[in-house]
Amino acid sequence: MSEIIEIKIPDLGGADSVEIVEILIKAGDTVEKEQTLAVMESDKATMDLPANEAGTIQEVIFKVGDKVSQGTLVAMLKREGEVAAAVEEKPAEAAKVAAQPAAKVEPVEVVAEVKAPVTAVVSEAVVSQGKAHATPSVRLFARELGVDLSRVTQGSGRKGRILREDVKAFVKKVMSQGVAQGTGAGIPSIPEVDFTQFGEIETQPLSKIKRLTGDHMVRVCLNVPMVTQHDEADITEMEDFRKINNAGKPEIKLTGLVFIIKALVAALKKFPQFNSSLSADGQSLIYKKYFNIGIAVETPNGLMVPVIHGADQMSLNQLSEALGDLSSKAREGKLPPSAMQGGCMAISSLGGIGGTAFTPIVNAPEVAILGVSRSKMQPVWNGTEFVPRLMLPLDLTYDHRVIDGAEAARFLVALTQYLGDIRRLLV
Amino acid sequence: MSDIHAEVLVLGGGPGGYTAAFRAADLGKKVTLIERYPVIGGVCLNVGCIPSKALLHMAQIIHEVDEVASHGIKYGKPSFELEKIKGWKEGITKSLNTGLAALIKQRKITLVHGVGSFASANSIVVESESGSQTISFDHAIIAAGSQPTEIPVFPNDDPRLWDSTDALELHEVPKKLLIVGGGIIGLEMATVYHALGSQISVVELMDQIIPGCDADLVRPLHKRIKKQYENIWLETKVEEIKSLKKGLKVSFSGKKAPESETFDAVLVAVGRRPNGFKIAAEKAGVKVDDMGFIQVDEQQRTNIDNIFAIGDIAGNPMLAHKAVHEGKVAAEVISGIKAGFDALTIPAVAYTDPEVTWMGLTENQAKKDGIEYDKASFPWAASGRSLSLGRNEGITKILCDKETGRILGAGMVGPNAGELIAEAVLALEMGADAEDIGLSIHPHPSLSETFGFAAEMITGTITDLYIKKK
Repeated sequence: MSEIIEIKIPDLGGADSVEIVEILIKAGDTVEKEQTLAVMESDKATMDLPANEAGTIQEVIFKVGDKVSQGTLVAMLKREGEVAAAVEEKPAEAAKVAAQPAAKVEPVEVVAEVKAPVTAVVSEAVVSQGKAHATPSVRLFARELGVDLSRVTQGSGRKGRILREDVKAFVKKVMSQGVAQGTGAGIPSIPEVDFTQFGEIETQPLSKIKRLTGDHMVRVCLNVPMVTQHDEADITEMEDFRKINNAGKPEIKLTGLVFIIKALVAALKKFPQFNSSLSADGQSLIYKKYFNIGIAVETPNGLMVPVIHGADQMSLNQLSEALGDLSSKAREGKLPPSAMQGGCMAISSLGGIGGTAFTPIVNAPEVAILGVSRSKMQPVWNGTEFVPRLMLPLDLTYDHRVIDGAEAARFLVALTQYLGDIRRLLV
Repeated sequence: MSDIHAEVLVLGGGPGGYTAAFRAADLGKKVTLIERYPVIGGVCLNVGCIPSKALLHMAQIIHEVDEVASHGIKYGKPSFELEKIKGWKEGITKSLNTGLAALIKQRKITLVHGVGSFASANSIVVESESGSQTISFDHAIIAAGSQPTEIPVFPNDDPRLWDSTDALELHEVPKKLLIVGGGIIGLEMATVYHALGSQISVVELMDQIIPGCDADLVRPLHKRIKKQYENIWLETKVEEIKSLKKGLKVSFSGKKAPESETFDAVLVAVGRRPNGFKIAAEKAGVKVDDMGFIQVDEQQRTNIDNIFAIGDIAGNPMLAHKAVHEGKVAAEVISGIKAGFDALTIPAVAYTDPEVTWMGLTENQAKKDGIEYDKASFPWAASGRSLSLGRNEGITKILCDKETGRILGAGMVGPNAGELIAEAVLALEMGADAEDIGLSIHPHPSLSETFGFAAEMITGTITDLYIKKK
């Protein structure tokens, strides 16, 4: 009689394991089609899980903190119009349903249900077949390092035998993950301090984005030898052009940032090693033939870096549009994961706020990042006299394994030249 | 006040104990070794593996002399000088004892003779003829071994009722000898006494000799000794043994056994019991189970952090080569090395004639656990080396994973089979598959070749046999 259907996670646009951060339903709730049942968070984007049918929630199978993928069963829903059948079967429960107005959907207590360990198991999904294929000396080596050989899934030896090198590689992998998780194997931790002894305190959980960003930053800082160099671009004429353009009341107003994007693309074309990534083993450099520029955006939840794909193919207007679209989506937390992937180099602009210089951290595996501080009218010696020029401070942080100081200096010089005379971008 | 302080104290000087002591000393520890007997080496060296092998060697020569008679070489009937045989056997153990004593000295290990029992989790009291002394320790390794199981209702005081130690003494060669227990120890002693002229009967409770071993591996041995011995009574229980003047009257219950029969001597070889209850383990807080075993973890650690146990007392199988490896693990763990006992198999050998040996997964176990396997049995009748030894009953068996071909288990029966099993153990530990084994060149003609042939039977590349395609 009553038809119960399964609610499963829909196609997530490539994201294969997203975390449930909020559940908005509980058993007995009546939901409408397209109503948000839960909120999922991947990389740095949140997504809503809509109801695919209207009806009554029979059972909620997932919990806050669960990691789900496309097809994961999350809830059972009884189709609308069949509540009557349920009444016959379970009067008590039906009464409860009736007592609750359909529209009133109360969010479930989120904090109380956070359950972390479930996730790790799902993502690894490695089941060893009996005893590991490794010789006694390798088993001893693994024991010395505390490696569970059943987790070393692919041996590189003949017929998949786990070799000493495989154990080492596994340890390296786990170590880097361990650092990201803040377990900091081998790295001294910052001792805990009881701040209450100094005065009143309040503890609030870090947002997921802050945590992710933090993990990533620690990972980058531990892995990448970084150098930051500074320079200034004379953007007096660029600003003149921008103001004239915007004064014509165009449909799309240009910001200074789109000029910087344009100039950065030109510089990347001239210095291809800046548009590269180091291979995982550090033995080769991977050059990219595409020009995707990441833009650091401040959002209420933390820092996000949406990517303008194919920036080299865009006009200033198109860049302006793309930038506006991505920024607002980022602020609303509506960026799909794909919009934050595939960056070549990122720009972190604090110019709107202030500051004279800073040292941004490279968004590895990218090899460089451009920091932009606040432009300022400055007296500049033109050979005979001081003239007022609008100067833009630029900061370039780079991965010293890939880029040397002289190259970085040349890169910055090129960049300041493009910005100093935007006609050069046409050459 | 304690007289001696040991960083590592080893209780028991058998193969496990002395290995642990040596390894710990080599790793820089100050070691004290306690041994209740005047000589080091334990059961294995003094009243076990080594003397029994000496006697088995002699038995083999007697058999071979007998067999070559039909090939045209006649020596005549052998005569035995028991005292001389004993002397030869004791000479072997003595030379090994001396060697061990030298190794102890070289390593500057303190050797204390006496019976040790724990006083606390950090001290032990050693009683000896010269008095008692307390030894304190940081770490202890219990290697106190096992002893033959006695059946209380038997007349154990009668000198004609033997355990394996008595049998190895070689006091006399009884005319009629009954072996109670058709396991490895019983059958090895049967081999010796049969060669010396005793009429042997074997009684075994289970439905095959060497219970636990696959039936196909036992069959050639059973077939051979059936002809040599008076009786092999399977599924038969000894109900009673009575001391009579003319001998030991043994009553049986079982299908084919007589109600009773009188023997000149009876060897009880029904297994060994761990010595867990003899060392006052409770005073150290070490848990001993009902059987007398001390449970240990992979690091050979007991429930008490600084006390380890190895060898027979730490669980089955009670084999010297297991104890030796466990001893090393314990010594290394104590010395801060992250060792662990994770051997994939402990091989078993019966030095009977033919020898029976196996390692890894047995077919019995595979069937019980529902493990899928490929099996090959190479008959030694097709081995030139075996035939040239005048023997054709041997078998080399190999079990491989059905999916991957990886070796799961192996067994051999035949002369010198005990030497062949080592290759199978290595193959298992190295994760070799049938192809690896078949492609490794084995010398020809050799018995070891049969292992390669068995692997080739799995891969279908064998040419020394003709196997019809399925």
